[in-house]
Amino acid sequence: MRRLAVIAVLALAFPGVAFAHATLESTTPHFGRELRIAPKTIELHFDQYVKLLSPSAIKVLNDKGVDFALSSRTQGTNVIAGVRALPRGAYTVRWQAISADSHVVSGVWTFGVRVPAPSVNDAYGAGGPTRTEDVVRWIWFLGIALTIGALGLRLLVLRGLEVPRALDRRIAVAAGLGCIVALQAGIAAFSLRAEDALQLPFGRFLYGDLSPMAATRFGLAYVTMTLVFALVLALVYLGWLLDRVDLLVPAFLLAVVFAGGLSYSGHDAVDPGSSWKTEIADWVHLSAASLWIGGLATMAILVWTGAPQLRRDAFVRFSRLAPVLIGLVLAAGTYMAIVRLPHVRDLWATGYGRVLLVKVALVSLALVWGAFHHFVVRPALERADTGRLTTIGRSLIGESMVGVVVLLVAAVLVDSKPPPRPASAPSSAAVGVTH
Amino acid sequence: MKPHAEMVHWLFAAGILFIGMCLLCEAIVGRAVWQMRPWRKYLWPGVAFAMGVLLWPVMAFFTNSAIHMYAHGSWAEVLMLAGGAELGLVHGRLKSPYWRLTWPLAFVVTGTAFIVHEQNPWFFARSAFLHHLLGWTFIVAAIFPLALVWRPRSTALRACFALTICVVSVQLFSDRDVAPIFGHLSPLAGEPHR
Repeated sequence: MRRLAVIAVLALAFPGVAFAHATLESTTPHFGRELRIAPKTIELHFDQYVKLLSPSAIKVLNDKGVDFALSSRTQGTNVIAGVRALPRGAYTVRWQAISADSHVVSGVWTFGVRVPAPSVNDAYGAGGPTRTEDVVRWIWFLGIALTIGALGLRLLVLRGLEVPRALDRRIAVAAGLGCIVALQAGIAAFSLRAEDALQLPFGRFLYGDLSPMAATRFGLAYVTMTLVFALVLALVYLGWLLDRVDLLVPAFLLAVVFAGGLSYSGHDAVDPGSSWKTEIADWVHLSAASLWIGGLATMAILVWTGAPQLRRDAFVRFSRLAPVLIGLVLAAGTYMAIVRLPHVRDLWATGYGRVLLVKVALVSLALVWGAFHHFVVRPALERADTGRLTTIGRSLIGESMVGVVVLLVAAVLVDSKPPPRPASAPSSAAVGVTH
Repeated sequence: MKPHAEMVHWLFAAGILFIGMCLLCEAIVGRAVWQMRPWRKYLWPGVAFAMGVLLWPVMAFFTNSAIHMYAHGSWAEVLMLAGGAELGLVHGRLKSPYWRLTWPLAFVVTGTAFIVHEQNPWFFARSAFLHHLLGWTFIVAAIFPLALVWRPRSTALRACFALTICVVSVQLFSDRDVAPIFGHLSPLAGEPHR
């Protein structure tokens, strides 16, 4: 009987094969390729027949916006356009077709002739990051910081203490909220990047092919982080449901490790001068800052209001952890600043440097605030001066708010362009950006 | 590497059918009998929650259009929410029966996403017809889980809820095809090619 049930379920899951929907399956040349010989044609291969809106369904644009494509035609499930002789340079292919279901599908990708292909983010016509992207990235940072901070507070700071179940559950809710925010912000950030690359009005963007964007470093980071944060959300939920703190351990580790997706796709992974060392430094910077800011905010709000009996222990333990985190943030941040800004004058002479200066000023404010907690409040608490506990809550919230603003400036910094480095051998990572 | 879209539809249709059959069994034998084995009370809410989690890879990997990405994402979220709420209720972590409002919410969001992401008329092609049908089935049938919030013991309502989910499953099994039979209702849908 059980065997029959299994067979029935499998048969339902895998009935006879059938297909649908117009999907771009492959292109010639492939997304992001550097070609030694200029292509004579551009070919799009779909999984079904498509129609063309006009003979200029495929455009091959150089960095000045000159179109090198000849008229397009369909051939079976392919769309083909001849191309005039392409000189050395980077090219953007923009295409559109009518799917069998009458939807206009569109897309963009890049390739290079004897030069590395630019990232699809830098396709001809793309405008680059906007203020909206800054805000979305800030929200993304906040979600990650809340997830890592809440889980880190429970597992590192409150470890071994008798934590009331109500507080445990509130911490899990905070971590889950962070995951949800991170997931939504990730989707929004990916959509904004894709919209910029595709350069389509919103109605047409909805039917735009995002596959080339998903194949970039940013796209891979988005896909990976989406999957991992969904899993983290599920683990946190199960931890909350079953009162199992041990389920938060894999959730915390996954969140910390895969927050590195942003490092994998940021300046310190793809710009000239980048290396695996800058990538790791960026990940350490982000993870430590998330744990610091998120942990502080969670402690100030949840522990202070939900478990007054734990305030003293939580504060003292967090004060021991914070110097380590701050040390990591400063060491990694300084290293990356040296790599990104080879000259000290870049700090005030470039936009990137000026944003960095603002960030440094805010971090300094947070450090002074933290030093007050560490060197004044903590010794007092260790001398059993519990009177300070009631007043220090607001101060902790104030320090964490400075951290929240630091994350906003960090978001602007990530979307800013660092100054060009002096000419040197191209980095392998810079080539990798095209995929 | 990536499975064909229709394979994914069938896998989820199988999961939905499983949930529908569990609900139907529960409606027929009664909740007390169904929950005689403690693990059974977690069965269909757990499958629903897991399917919500598994919809995230569908959203992330199927990026051939933005609107499909958003539709899959919205389904992932509402299925996780409704499945999670039901798990919380059967486990006793959640007390308020109003958490069951997440089911009509999931139905309405799912139905709306089906209808919005299908821009062709009903009789354009099989997939268009079934997208509209799925969308309206979800929206109209949201009345059953909504009524169950206030009349949770009604066998008729629970049977209707279960049958709705079974019907949705059948529709999903039939959704992705341009087969010669009933494949192209309009010549505008393109040449039959399979």
